[in-house]
Amino acid sequence: MSENNQIEIDEKVLKKLNIDELTHLFMDNINEQNLKLIEGIESLVEENFEKFNNNMKYVIKTNTEVQIKKQFESKIFKSKLMFSKADRLKLFTKINDIKNIGEFIANKMLLYRAVFPDEEFKIHIRNILKSLKIISNKLSNAVKLIGSDLSIARDVCEEIKEKRRKMRKEEWNLLNRLYNYDMDYLSRTFLYLKELIDNIMMLADHIKSFSEYIQFLATKYLIFD
Amino acid sequence: MADDLTSILVIVLIVMAIALAFSIGANDETLSALVVAGVLKFKLALFIGGVAIGAGMIFFSGGFVAKTVGSDILGEGITYTTIMLLTVLISSILWLVVGSFAGIPLSSTHSLVGSVVGVLIVYAIFQGGVNPDTALNWTKLGNVVLSWFLSPLFGLIITFLLFKLIAKLYLSRLKGLNQIELSEKHFKWLLLVGVIFAEIWVGANSGEALGILYGLLDNGSLNLTQYFTYSIICGIFACVGIYFAARYVIRNLASHMVDSRPSEGLIIQMSSAIILMVATILGLPISHSHVIVFCIIGMSMAQKKEVDYKALRKMGIYWVLTFPVAALLAGILYLGFFSFGFS
Repeated sequence: MSENNQIEIDEKVLKKLNIDELTHLFMDNINEQNLKLIEGIESLVEENFEKFNNNMKYVIKTNTEVQIKKQFESKIFKSKLMFSKADRLKLFTKINDIKNIGEFIANKMLLYRAVFPDEEFKIHIRNILKSLKIISNKLSNAVKLIGSDLSIARDVCEEIKEKRRKMRKEEWNLLNRLYNYDMDYLSRTFLYLKELIDNIMMLADHIKSFSEYIQFLATKYLIFD
Repeated sequence: MADDLTSILVIVLIVMAIALAFSIGANDETLSALVVAGVLKFKLALFIGGVAIGAGMIFFSGGFVAKTVGSDILGEGITYTTIMLLTVLISSILWLVVGSFAGIPLSSTHSLVGSVVGVLIVYAIFQGGVNPDTALNWTKLGNVVLSWFLSPLFGLIITFLLFKLIAKLYLSRLKGLNQIELSEKHFKWLLLVGVIFAEIWVGANSGEALGILYGLLDNGSLNLTQYFTYSIICGIFACVGIYFAARYVIRNLASHMVDSRPSEGLIIQMSSAIILMVATILGLPISHSHVIVFCIIGMSMAQKKEVDYKALRKMGIYWVLTFPVAALLAGILYLGFFSFGFS
């Protein structure tokens, strides 16, 4: 354990892992942080502010993934991979982007403590967060399937895209509701809630774009009859 | 004096034939697929490729394509004179240089055979006593020209079918990126064998340099021992050409091929090698670059990728024009020599 109570991974263990295993470990790490972020926002909805603060700070301060990233970078360029080096590097970068977006959202969430307008709004937010959790987990599965079965990974990505389309509808419902509340539109509450919805969709959009990239890899590498 | 001039011209022709052999090696891009796959260190790949092309040239110098270009396409009782051979060489080189400056990839094989036809027709018309109908072996020439159309077509078909077969039996069963990487690692060693095989037949089918030497053998300017000695020197210079000069072409081409897989390279190389092998055994000089282009098209069609038909049409026009333009150029050049009393 380090000073920040973060779990550090043994360097010797990391050195033994191959590119694929490092990618999976990295994905697991980032997905775990992503789920913490989502659960943190759920806690905010439940008005469990302590858990909300702890989760946001966890996402901001955790940097276990840096170790994995360094090990991956030192291995990828020395590896004897024939043609998928650039694509694997891009995959890793896209996973890292999830962390960056998550950190950005966590910092923004901590700027203000908003109270949700009503129970209906909370229900819709919970639904959209539930969908975000699902696509986050599905993306993690899809990334892990790239090495073993790109065709299944492609199908999982199609499910992600379908789910995200439904999230878009939920987003409009939420925004519609928000704009129709009797509140001052320049108020911090309004701005905070609007940004919350935008940030959730920003993460969902990145996951969708990532899944499209995985589908592109499936088209690129699979030989179809 | 005439004998001295003939001797000098024979020496010039031998030197030019060796230079041609060097340029055949220098312009060969067969090793690009091997370099992309990273099977061997670059210099080792160049050396092995050079040895293969040289070996092909040497071991098939006794007949086959060299005999076709150097003797068989000529009419009954007709042999090359040194001036004819010089004209053929100058004309084909000139047309290739023009093409290079214009950025047009041209076939040295088509250019050479076209030049031979041009020279012989002028010879038949102006030097008298020879019927143009019998100055050339039109049947053999017809077969050679037909092979120029059939060889790329067969290259396309064989590549298409070979890819479909390998895809159906093996490649389509590879689902994960890790499996694909591992299988391609195995394919790269097969690619090494395939490229060496292809290089041997590229050398064997290179009728330009050895055709000139065979022409000198046929007209008595060289004896058999001299012919084989210079053939070996040509083979060595083809090897040297690949090692010292082709590296730039190969590196440049390889940099555009980073996404291609060893399995694709193997199919293309094997298809072109088979076509070259059959053509060599039948004594037909064909263009390796044309065959490769159509093999690549065959691969693209098999993978349902887009084919740039516009660029292909443009290339096709130049391919078709090479033969008549080289013939015209050679004819004019030979007429010029003839006018100045050189025949």
